[in-house]
Amino acid sequence: MPKPIITVKELQKHFKIQKHRRGLTGALRNLASFHTDLVRAVDGISFTIEPGELVGYLGPNGAGKSTTLKMLTGLLVPTGGEMWVNDRVPWKERRAHVAKIGAVFGQRTTLWWDLPVIESFDLIQHIYQIPKNQFKQNLDEFRDLLDLDRFINTPVRSLSLGQRMRADICAALLHNPPLLFLDEPTIGLDVVAKERIRQFIRFINHDRRTTVLLTTHDLSDVEKLCERVMIIDHGKLLYDGALADLAERFGGNRELVVEFSEMYTHPEVEGAEIIQCEGLLVTYGFERGSITASELIGRLSVKYRIHDLKVREPEIESTIRRIYEEKLLE
Amino acid sequence: MRYHLDLYIRLVGVQIRSQLQYRASFLMDSAATGIVTVLGFLTLALIFRRFNHISGWTLWEVAFLYGMVEAAFGTMDMFFSGFDPQNFGKQIRLGLFDQILLRPVNATVQVLASDFILRRLGRIIQGLIVLGLAFANQDVQWTLGKILYLPVIFVSLVMFFGGLFVIGATITFWTVESIEIINVFTYGGSEMMSYPMHIYQDWMRRFFTYVLPGIFIVYYPALFILGKPDPFHMPQFAYFLSPVAGFSVLLAASVFWQFGVRHYQSTGT
Amino acid sequence: MDQIRLFIELTKKALQRQMTYRAAIAAGVLTNLFFGLLRAAVLQALYVGRSEVAGITLPAAITYTGISQATIGIFAAFSWFAIIRSVYSGEVSSDLLKPMDYFTFWLAQDWGRSIIELLLRSLPIMLAYAVVFGITVPHTAVQWLALAAALWLGWLVSFAWRFLLNLSAFWTPNAIGVARFGFVLSWFMSGFLMPLRFFPDWFVQICYLTPFPHTVNTVVEIYLGLLSGPEILMALGGQALWAAVLIAAGQLVLQLGIRKLVIQGG
Repeated sequence: MPKPIITVKELQKHFKIQKHRRGLTGALRNLASFHTDLVRAVDGISFTIEPGELVGYLGPNGAGKSTTLKMLTGLLVPTGGEMWVNDRVPWKERRAHVAKIGAVFGQRTTLWWDLPVIESFDLIQHIYQIPKNQFKQNLDEFRDLLDLDRFINTPVRSLSLGQRMRADICAALLHNPPLLFLDEPTIGLDVVAKERIRQFIRFINHDRRTTVLLTTHDLSDVEKLCERVMIIDHGKLLYDGALADLAERFGGNRELVVEFSEMYTHPEVEGAEIIQCEGLLVTYGFERGSITASELIGRLSVKYRIHDLKVREPEIESTIRRIYEEKLLE
Repeated sequence: MRYHLDLYIRLVGVQIRSQLQYRASFLMDSAATGIVTVLGFLTLALIFRRFNHISGWTLWEVAFLYGMVEAAFGTMDMFFSGFDPQNFGKQIRLGLFDQILLRPVNATVQVLASDFILRRLGRIIQGLIVLGLAFANQDVQWTLGKILYLPVIFVSLVMFFGGLFVIGATITFWTVESIEIINVFTYGGSEMMSYPMHIYQDWMRRFFTYVLPGIFIVYYPALFILGKPDPFHMPQFAYFLSPVAGFSVLLAASVFWQFGVRHYQSTGT
Repeated sequence: MDQIRLFIELTKKALQRQMTYRAAIAAGVLTNLFFGLLRAAVLQALYVGRSEVAGITLPAAITYTGISQATIGIFAAFSWFAIIRSVYSGEVSSDLLKPMDYFTFWLAQDWGRSIIELLLRSLPIMLAYAVVFGITVPHTAVQWLALAAALWLGWLVSFAWRFLLNLSAFWTPNAIGVARFGFVLSWFMSGFLMPLRFFPDWFVQICYLTPFPHTVNTVVEIYLGLLSGPEILMALGGQALWAAVLIAAGQLVLQLGIRKLVIQGG
């Protein structure tokens, strides 16, 4: 069985913080005073990720997502626990580690601000020592898929957000990293641009078997891309499993949309309530725990004549929101 | 090693190309930075008409110090601008240092290559002109040793001020903003060293002798080259401590810098 | 009147903004003190064997270095690019739409800034100087009054000049470079580096063809009591004249700049 590409065991990151004081006098006063608070940004997280997975990493703001990401990318040294990425300890072998990963940040660019995009790519070729033909092959393929030609000679500072994201994600993959970290890659983009980025992510995951770890606040990203999600809050991993199961366990009301063969004025049924009534189409809402879909269908078919029907799950968005708000996992 | 050298040249080359793109404004900026040197020297020259000498040093002897310091500081500024505390503090604040750590390149090389300011050439050239004038207008007992010592002094100055920049940049890891006090050492230091350092108050001189060995970088070599007596009666080898002093400041700065980078990785921002 | 009230509000806001930079200002005072010390040492070395040069005694010359440092903040002698930045960021459009004359708008803000610089920077510098060196101070009430007038007029001249320089942003993307030239010139000819009296006469005459000596040098000469009664009046008059000339020029250039902005669309 192939080894996991990421292994994390009881990972911890604690910060001692004081009130943030700026400037030299502030730093000196910080040194003098002993009043510190311990912030457990990451408090004992364990998980493994196999090569080729596309995993979503979710959590409210301040949950510890970016801290985890910083440790995985080698930017931050953990306070406790163990971590291996690509068989390496990230912060111990920073340069070797970083040569084998790609990273894209929605909030800022990895490219050179004043240079045309293509020149940034050229620099990247030299920085990562990408063999010429591999570089050309990747560039040709990506520029086609991401439609970069229209702005590939424009300086990064003149690009729109959507264009910059496409350039960034291309840049992150030119050196064929087996592992890609995406931090809010669709933030601020319009619907069309989002879909484009998602398509590309799907492509590199399915076609090139690139492992992807995606942190995002956009739950439709999650819905459309991830089969597995991890939910973190207050530094702890609350859920690690299939997205579908999440909906199953915590999704609230499900819906059954029935198309009847004839008009019924009040097609009542026990165990469900009518949410919507539009001619022959009636939508029922029923609670997950109290009755199964097949039971409900059974009861309906006894009383009425059904032409067609469909079960609708609640949107993952509302499910996850419920989990955050109602603290269902704590 | 070779990889980093190639990369450094490439990164700097890219900046030079883009700075030269706007030729008109490049020339104007270059002239502007040079003008300060020229005007500073003109001020000196005009003042010397009235005063004739400063504590036993003539205008051209002072010009030797002044030209050296200006040309060397300009050179340092050209190469080390990535470490300029104002610049670097901003990078830290914007989270751009993370970007540097995410590349498989030595972080120090990246910072060094991050800001190469070609227009500093203006200051360098003006400084060299003043230096040339200083040589042309006085009788120096030249020996081969003295001539060979000149570029050594120049490099020591660059290392000295470069080290100060690096120290200032490292401090911003903790304070996040650059602190104005650092200007006292970099710009204050360069102004201070443009004059014969025996004119300064005792405590200041002692600081720049025993704590930050600025006095050995250009003042003592100048005593040697110009054949002037040493008012402090230091041992003979003091004349030749310039490269040692410059290197030790740069070395101490880089140790501090490594410490700062490690600290950054422990605490992030 | 509404305009006056707006003016006062803007000045107050600028004052408040500067107050938040208190810690930085303290560090700044130390920096100024250090540079002042350097210059004082140079002057002391120059004065060896002389008790007075061009009517300035050594204690007065040392006081001069303190004054020159103290005026940096008030006159924003090294850099002031606020208008340039507002033009490049596009803020200028909303500034121009404000119910207040554009020049007065910036004048008010700079006045607030300069007052804070006076209180939190210039005064501490002079106090530190008094402790470290001992300084001379103006003798008579008339001199103090004249000093206050000279400081205010000098600030006005410096502001009008800075305003003009910044307006270059309407014409070139490299306004900061252009403005820097202007700052360097004013440095050199304002009596900031050395009292103008130390320079040869022909040089001083050239300087007085420009507005620059009417900032630092006038303040210095009045403070050190180097001018007789009528000479003081002439100096203040000179400041007022140049202020008027620069302000008028600023108005003209501003109108041209606005027209360019409107035509080109920024």
